[in-house]
Amino acid sequence: MSPLRAARPFHPLLKPSALAFALGLACASATGAAMAQSAPTGPIEITTGTSPGGTPDVLMRRAAKILNEQKIITNPLVVQNRTGGSWMVAGNFVMGKKGDRNVVLCIAQPILTTPITQGLPTLYDKLTPIAMFIQGDLVLVVQPDSPVKNLKQLMELAAQRERSLKVAGAQAGSTDHMVAGLVEKAGKVKLNYIPFDGGGSAQAAFLGGNVDLMTLTPSEAMPLVTSGKARILAILSDERRPEPELKDVPTAKEQGYDIVWGQAWGLAGPPELDADTVKFWDDAIAKLVANPEWQASLKENFLRSKLIPAAEVKPYMQKLHEEHLALLRDLGLAKQPPVQ
Amino acid sequence: MDALASLAQGFAVAGTPTNLLFVLIGVTLGQVIGALPGIGPSAGMALLLPVTFGLEPVTALVMLSGIMYGGMYGGTLTSVLVNVPGEAASVMTAVDGNQLARQGRAGQALAAAAIGSFIAGIGAVAALVFLTPALAAFALSFSAPEYFLLALLGITATASLGTGSAMKAMIGATLGLMIALVGTDPILGTPRLTFGSLELMEGIDFLPVAIGIFGIAEILVSMEQRQAAQAVRTQLKDMWLSAKDWAECRMAILRGGIVGFLIGLMPGAGPTVAALLAYVVEKKASPHPERFGHGALDGVAAAESANNSAAHGAMVPMLALGIPGSASTAVLLAALVLLGIRPGPMLLTEQADLVWGLIASMFIGNVILLVINLPLAPLFASVLRIPYSYLVPGILVVSLVGAYAISLSLFNVGLTLFFGMVGYLLIRADIPRAPLVLAVVLAPLMESSLRQSLMLSEGSLVIFVQRPLAALLALLVIGSLALPLSSFLLARRAARRAGVSEALSHSSD
Repeated sequence: MSPLRAARPFHPLLKPSALAFALGLACASATGAAMAQSAPTGPIEITTGTSPGGTPDVLMRRAAKILNEQKIITNPLVVQNRTGGSWMVAGNFVMGKKGDRNVVLCIAQPILTTPITQGLPTLYDKLTPIAMFIQGDLVLVVQPDSPVKNLKQLMELAAQRERSLKVAGAQAGSTDHMVAGLVEKAGKVKLNYIPFDGGGSAQAAFLGGNVDLMTLTPSEAMPLVTSGKARILAILSDERRPEPELKDVPTAKEQGYDIVWGQAWGLAGPPELDADTVKFWDDAIAKLVANPEWQASLKENFLRSKLIPAAEVKPYMQKLHEEHLALLRDLGLAKQPPVQ
Repeated sequence: MDALASLAQGFAVAGTPTNLLFVLIGVTLGQVIGALPGIGPSAGMALLLPVTFGLEPVTALVMLSGIMYGGMYGGTLTSVLVNVPGEAASVMTAVDGNQLARQGRAGQALAAAAIGSFIAGIGAVAALVFLTPALAAFALSFSAPEYFLLALLGITATASLGTGSAMKAMIGATLGLMIALVGTDPILGTPRLTFGSLELMEGIDFLPVAIGIFGIAEILVSMEQRQAAQAVRTQLKDMWLSAKDWAECRMAILRGGIVGFLIGLMPGAGPTVAALLAYVVEKKASPHPERFGHGALDGVAAAESANNSAAHGAMVPMLALGIPGSASTAVLLAALVLLGIRPGPMLLTEQADLVWGLIASMFIGNVILLVINLPLAPLFASVLRIPYSYLVPGILVVSLVGAYAISLSLFNVGLTLFFGMVGYLLIRADIPRAPLVLAVVLAPLMESSLRQSLMLSEGSLVIFVQRPLAALLALLVIGSLALPLSSFLLARRAARRAGVSEALSHSSD
């Protein structure tokens, strides 16, 4: 099972700005609630911790759109960006809404990793898990004119001199950073990881030829590959992807390196959320995942939608947490005491 | 010629009644959103993302990008009229614009800003049409070392920003750098000076500082003065650009537009930095630099031209490479993804209609904005006929709501009030406020790019002169430091000589 990777914002540049008036929109309609007796009434807020345009934000907006349009959920769904503190502002907002049926939190990687890297109390085990239902893969790309043709050659090159191979990525503790850590571990090499303000800045640095290697999502990588600006070395999934564009890309595992990492997103409710509301969401997400429009929209971006329903999501999150903790500790970024 | 044919096709796409309507909606919304502090164009665009779901991709994009550059026009309003920057890129406008307003020249300031934005915007779109692929390559030649030197250039230039002593300006800049230190370390990810506060983890946002230091501080100072309850008395007909005003602004618009566009191109700088640097450049180039800070019309024109052309320039890396050059283009990219279009280097060829339709719509949008803004400039300016004491509660409300809207938290409201007090003390101590705000904007760019450069070069400083562009910027930095120093030394020498001869003449009495 691949651990979750997340929240690479599409844009790297500026600090959070926010949405103010969406709630006003929500106030406009408190009708359409009586879908089932046990369903929440009134508008529901989906809280995300990225600024508008970040991957989780885009995914949640699309999910909300389809859920409402297909009348899977009739309550108006409002995606709200509560940025700050690397998702902790969003996380703590929902944490403070004990038992509130009208708010859910988008789960993305920082919900797990920020508490670890900042030494804060964990959130994932205090929220009420609902479902994880979006997964994405990652690929390693090198410069198109790089002499490196596969992972083995990459590792050999990196082994020649410590920290000679430059890797661009997002902030310390981000997915990119963790992938670099995995590469180092698998090849027993030391890379020169250079954190940029976000995925976009890192990509600019890569395209400008300033670094040798970077981690991208397939949807970010494909346009660069087709235009000859990058070359994929490996996909970090368990198995090859079926899409025609990606089916010839070998996995890291095939090449003899156990580097499997991905990203995943889902939803969780505030602490002490009642079972009826969890069921309400669980059913809705199951219908969403079965929706062809939803599946097609994810496929366009090489994402997958496999449902880990409420019944199974708790141990899944627990496992993710432990994997992240172990990796971040290897990278020297964990501030949390070991799990007992 | 290829580009022209494509552009003609673009106009055919953008010229359909629906698309024209949505350009109009977009720029009008942008104008309003830009004028409200706190909600910048990027947040406004994100707010309206869901609205675009049912629309054709072209229609959605022309509307959203209309909000983006419409915001650049709108931000001028509150900056000039009440000294509260409507959005980040209008900070420099507030410095001189509001001084002009106090002299009863708000109409001219607004008109100069509108015309400047228009000319720079049209120029920038024209550059987009012909040069996008070439410019994209230029944008990529900018990396960490160049960003560092650019930011350093901006910081050293702050010394010349104040109206008084360079030392005081540097004190302001240093305070700004200190404010920017708060937050998470950009490289290591460890918290710095956050005192365990979650709200401070991502640092102090630039807007509470700007709104507090400019808007709130102004109100605090005004409370000390006995209000004669007299408003700026001006006539509508006086609020128009004279031929002399226009002559003053022409070159400022040209320079501001070019500087803004070049900086807008670089993914990582953005319209705010563009406006700041254009202002500094203009002050250096202006025949009357002493007027800057006291109401220089060309200062307003330069800053406003720059932020609009930067907003357009940021489209270059977005369209040609799929890399956002600003927060607003990031939302545009997200919109593309939501509409099922994958951005990237192939966008220009694969989605030619979309791209050219968008570019054509920007010509149309800029014309609409000029038509909205120019005749209305005197009208907006006449808001100032209301006595200041009646305006204050409104300004306060708009400022604080804006601060709240940044991240929907009261923390930023408190922060804004705090910086209001800081701003008050700065005014009292006669320390110029613009360098402080400039430093807050530039510091994160300067810090992370310095550290990234040194990581790229494995600790060697040679990286700052190795690349041609970096070497050029390094020369500019050295020049900007050496020039004032040498002129200062020369001036002192001359003064000493004069002093000596004066003393001699006295003694001979």
